[in-house]
Amino acid sequence: MNLPTTSEQNPVIQLDNVTVTYRAAQERIPSFKEYAIRWLKREIRAREFIALRNITLKVYPGEVLGIIGPNGAGKSTLLKVVARVLHPTQGRVRIAGRVSPLLELGAGFDPELTGRENVYLNSTILGFSRRDVEQRFERIVDFAGLREFIDVPVRTYSTGMGARLGFSVATDVQPEILIVDEILGVGDANFQKKSFERIQQFQANGSTILLVTHSLQKVQEMCTRVIWLEQGNLVMEGNPEQVISQYLEYNKKQEETHLRTVRPVQEKKEAPKRWGNYQAEIVDVRIENAAEKEQRIFQTGDTLRLRLRYRAHQPIADAVFGMAIHNHQGLHITGPNTQIAGLKIPVLQGEGEVLYIVPHVPLLDGLYHISVAIVNEADSEMYDYHDRQYDFRIDNESNPQAEKYGLVTLRGEWEVKKSTTR
Amino acid sequence: MSSSVYYDSDAIRSPEIQELREIWRYRDLLRLLVANSIKTRYKRSVLGVLWTLLNPLLTTIVLTVALSQLFRFQIENYPVYLLSSLIAWNFFSQTVTQVMSTLIWGSHLMKRIYVPRAVFPISVIGNGLVNLFLALIPLFVIMLFVHQPLYWTLGLLPFAVLLLTMFTAGVSLLLATLAVYFVDLVEMVKILLMAWFYLTPIIYPLEAVPPKYAWLLRLNPMSYLIEIFRQLIYDGTTPPESHLALASVVSVVVFLTGWVVFTRKSNEFAYHI
Repeated sequence: MNLPTTSEQNPVIQLDNVTVTYRAAQERIPSFKEYAIRWLKREIRAREFIALRNITLKVYPGEVLGIIGPNGAGKSTLLKVVARVLHPTQGRVRIAGRVSPLLELGAGFDPELTGRENVYLNSTILGFSRRDVEQRFERIVDFAGLREFIDVPVRTYSTGMGARLGFSVATDVQPEILIVDEILGVGDANFQKKSFERIQQFQANGSTILLVTHSLQKVQEMCTRVIWLEQGNLVMEGNPEQVISQYLEYNKKQEETHLRTVRPVQEKKEAPKRWGNYQAEIVDVRIENAAEKEQRIFQTGDTLRLRLRYRAHQPIADAVFGMAIHNHQGLHITGPNTQIAGLKIPVLQGEGEVLYIVPHVPLLDGLYHISVAIVNEADSEMYDYHDRQYDFRIDNESNPQAEKYGLVTLRGEWEVKKSTTR
Repeated sequence: MSSSVYYDSDAIRSPEIQELREIWRYRDLLRLLVANSIKTRYKRSVLGVLWTLLNPLLTTIVLTVALSQLFRFQIENYPVYLLSSLIAWNFFSQTVTQVMSTLIWGSHLMKRIYVPRAVFPISVIGNGLVNLFLALIPLFVIMLFVHQPLYWTLGLLPFAVLLLTMFTAGVSLLLATLAVYFVDLVEMVKILLMAWFYLTPIIYPLEAVPPKYAWLLRLNPMSYLIEIFRQLIYDGTTPPESHLALASVVSVVVFLTGWVVFTRKSNEFAYHI
């Protein structure tokens, strides 16, 4: 892929300090009466939600621009601004060329009308003239593969059929700008391939493409440039590898903090996920890496250390420490304890620490929940139990050697031998 | 590739002119929307187009029977008298309510894809004009039936329709713009329209109104427009010039106000609906 020589060409899309503000997003005043009452009480506060903040962006002919960011970052709003659906609250938008928005395939399909009538309706919604459509009609129907169904009402279509027809209408003429929002999965595998090829064809012929998808792999494969949005701000802009790796890094950090902060040790009284007689308590739980630093995101094969801090309110002679790991689907994966391990715990008195060390975590990608407990040897008395209170994640995004299938790695080894035939 | 379409959010200095250009560009969509709404309506009902013809006939019969008993005045060929103004009123009231609801309920399109906003109200008006034209058929049937003469002034009807359309469009655009911000205005307007109906000399003659209230009706622009229809169809006379001039000025002013307000506010619609 060649990056366009930006100095020679004029941008096809140019945003200057574009801000989009939704007013009163949470609270809508539906009626005159309400409005009048609140106006009198001076209660009308303009609650604003800033969907895009001061975005400046130039996109040149032939570029494939990926837009990444979490939900609610403003990706769709940005597309809508380019598609002219939203007029910017502030700033300026300039578009040189016809925009074909694959935002809502078949937006404006009238279910009561036939496929044929809807092709005309949808095409004119996209700004084509009737005569245009007449000439291209056969081609559109053929591409959608809906020849037999073209004269029945669209309400009898499946979702896939509707989307196919929508895609065919929207992409029959090569647009200068194509907006693609999470729709690379239209219809069956065959049609997906066809539609993907068509998009690639447009790209080869010089269309500019804006792509929003959650698949970072697609972004990496297709895009020549990527922008990263976060809460309406343009955080970063650059080549796909750079932006994506920064984005992943940031997300990891975010999640790390999130996993750590959501669940501190619960107060005993108000804890539905904690029970026991509390003669001995677990007062602190830490998940650590090999360097004994607190960590919540690991790769398969890393060392994971679980550190429990206990406090005994009276001497306890028969304590057993245990832990359990559940995956996010609730499957109980492991449940070791000190008794099974053949360890006799000396009489608990005052405070102390217990460690459980996993030298090589065998778990594969996913979110896991740890429970911890102190119980008596006869397993008849629970001193303290924290049910699935501590989360960690296995993330092998940057660990390509990790296995991909199933729950765990057995760290098994393969041997291949040539059979010696005489 | 030539950049055939160029959009600059800042360049729209006069949206009322820009929107006219856009409407022209999307004229085929407009035509389709009108055609489709007529088609879907008649596809569903058994009697089809016949129904639109029967409906005013039945209404007229009911109203004629009921009202001629109720009122003390005697009007020759009352069905013609009534229907000549009723068709104009129906066009007005149906268009106003439909434009409002189209803009609110048809908004799912506006949030997803760009089309000139004025396409929606204009298609409703186009639809209303088709219905108005169809309503003339039962009117003529009744006229023949009751031996009402067909005057040459009928030829001036298109001008009356033009004035009525401008006035109706202006009111619709203004109310629809407001309805985007206050949804329950739709219900309020329905009630107001009912009151407006009785405050307009449609089922009764202006002369039947006690003189001390007549000024009230004189303030009502619809009474002039209705009167013009009645004079052209029923009386066979041309309306007085002063009367026509007033109606024209009011219609043009209302239309322009509605158009300017609508086109200047329509950028915000997608945020509110």
